[in-house]
Amino acid sequence: MNIEEKWFNEDFQFETSLAPKRTRLQEFWLLFKQNRLAILGLFIFILFFCCAIVGLFMTSGPDPLFDPAMIRLQEKLRPPLAKPNLDSLRREEIPYLGFYLMGTDDLGRDVFARMLQGAWVSLTVGFVAVGISVLIGIFMGGIAGYFGQHHLRVDHVLVTFLLISGAALVTANFIRFGAALLCLTLAYIFYSLSTKNRSREKTLSSWTKVFRKNTVSVDTLIMRIVDIMLCFPSFFLILTVVALLPASIYNIMIVIGLTSWMGTTRFVRAEFLSLREQDFVAAVKTLGAGNFRIIFRHMMPNAIAPVLVSATIGIATAILTEAGLSFLGFGVPPPHATWGNILSDGKNFIFDAPWLTFIPGIAILIVVLSFNLFGEGLRDVLNPKLRERL
Amino acid sequence: MISFIGRSVIQKIITLFFVSIVSFLIIHIAPGKPSQVDPMNPKFTPEVVERFQKEFHLDKPLHVQYLYFYKDLFTGETVSWKDNQSVLKKIWERFLNSLPLFIVGTIITWTLSFPIGIRSAIFRGQFYDRSATFLSYLLISIPGFFFAYVLIIFVVNQFHVPVIGMETFGIGDGASLPYIFMDRIWHLLLPSVLGATGGIAVLSRYVRSQMLEVEGQDYIRTAWAKGLPPEQVHYKHALRNALLPFVTMFGLILPGLIGGSVIIESIFSWPGMGRMAYEAILARDYPVILTVNFVSALLVLAGTFISDLLYLIVDPRIRL
Repeated sequence: MNIEEKWFNEDFQFETSLAPKRTRLQEFWLLFKQNRLAILGLFIFILFFCCAIVGLFMTSGPDPLFDPAMIRLQEKLRPPLAKPNLDSLRREEIPYLGFYLMGTDDLGRDVFARMLQGAWVSLTVGFVAVGISVLIGIFMGGIAGYFGQHHLRVDHVLVTFLLISGAALVTANFIRFGAALLCLTLAYIFYSLSTKNRSREKTLSSWTKVFRKNTVSVDTLIMRIVDIMLCFPSFFLILTVVALLPASIYNIMIVIGLTSWMGTTRFVRAEFLSLREQDFVAAVKTLGAGNFRIIFRHMMPNAIAPVLVSATIGIATAILTEAGLSFLGFGVPPPHATWGNILSDGKNFIFDAPWLTFIPGIAILIVVLSFNLFGEGLRDVLNPKLRERL
Repeated sequence: MISFIGRSVIQKIITLFFVSIVSFLIIHIAPGKPSQVDPMNPKFTPEVVERFQKEFHLDKPLHVQYLYFYKDLFTGETVSWKDNQSVLKKIWERFLNSLPLFIVGTIITWTLSFPIGIRSAIFRGQFYDRSATFLSYLLISIPGFFFAYVLIIFVVNQFHVPVIGMETFGIGDGASLPYIFMDRIWHLLLPSVLGATGGIAVLSRYVRSQMLEVEGQDYIRTAWAKGLPPEQVHYKHALRNALLPFVTMFGLILPGLIGGSVIIESIFSWPGMGRMAYEAILARDYPVILTVNFVSALLVLAGTFISDLLYLIVDPRIRL
């Protein structure tokens, strides 16, 4: 083997590429590492997640380590780190740690146990609410962006109207009439589907052509719905609905989710509008992929970045909203402790027992702050302008 | 221009119509009836409930109720179910109470966030910028009511002034004018600062990003290359163009008159609109809830309309 050949082999080995190749994740991590505040946010976020899960196991079950509902009236409003008065307590009432890490509240319940339980509740409220809003947002935004140029025909509008009024009649106790309306509409849907499959250009009589006229486009329709939703003052709307519905943790999650999907819809729509025109989508289309596959396999991964960012910040907002609702007395009902209702219970004792206000307040502040910092860091990293600089 | 105004007004009226339907449906379809608010009250006999329902058309089907309600609203005859007073008059009174809060809060927001944002952009990446960024995240993240209590404790302990309510109770007789004035100022200060915190954080970040975007433009490089002093580059060349989007935000602050003040007003017992809405929700006073909702939707739409118009006037590039 002569020298030239050796050089050649070393330089042009195809197994190792010339530039140090980094995967997308490594690149992402390299950029993310530079943002110290975001790292801090991520760290606190993971810590909070672990706390919430550990807290769930420690405070639930028939015989929990920390019982958030254990009432010790003789031990009320003890400051943090206070030792329990062992003479006045039964054996099972003595706190697991041997002292009250975060004090006790006005009923003598261990605040530390309640905070642990509340962490899980806050986390679920945040995640489920944002999950709902992101799902709706992606769905609506995806439809508006991808199928936006399609027009709704008059018969579509009529069918929707008939379906809704049929369902309304059924719920309003006109069951027979409503059911008849529903059956008729469904029959029409099947009929139009079958005729559409059989022949496209069937000769239509003039009066049926009226039903095939175009009305608004899908995009306009969805964006007008978004406009309508944005007209409601969000906190006031949430408050109204939560106050009218029976108090339950699920209602709060659902209501927060249903009133916060508009931002995601707009992001996803904007991304889809620009992605739709790009070459790779045209390529996939010529390969014969279906709409479903194009949307979820090829376009969604490219559009997901702003959604992730707004979801992270949305979780923070949802936790704050839940705390605000709890504060006004419409939050998660009593057997569950949440940070919001620990705080709102504690506000009556703000001068005698400031820890009841400050511990949950600062906890909410730190968690929400970490989510916000992490989300903003994510936004910076996912920004393609910044990535080119690396 | 005229066609733009016409189109946008028609569009907004249609939106408002749907908002009125949706809010009406949300409130009336939700479980629970207004007559169930106080079932233990012995005065609430079935006859009274029936008379009450007849009086307010509650026995009619929904669409008739809808027509009745909005007919009353537009003729100004809507009355609150709770005390039989005219809703519009009630809202107007509360609105006048909320107005000083809103004005002072807006002034604080706008006067603070512009200098902070501009300075952060100029000293990008330096200590000032980083601390301002962190501080604004802190202000966004802090739960409003918690911050309110911290501030109340601080002010009451340090300055020994009462801050709850619109004025100290019973101060009206015998006090001198400057004393009353200072009292009002103290009561106004905390809630408006609280109302402004979130605004300062968001707006200063926005100013910063706008300013950074403009500072990256070619004409700024030209200005530097000409050897202009930094003040002139920053404040004359960059700031003027960075300010453009903010002119439109004057329209968007209108809806802030109602939304978001519920918690602050109930902490400070401030008899404003947010608190009235909250009390109406508690009492299931549907006319008041619906009217507040309608008015705020109207404000949102008017706000976006004004901001669109301002944009048209300010930025000749997008004139149609």
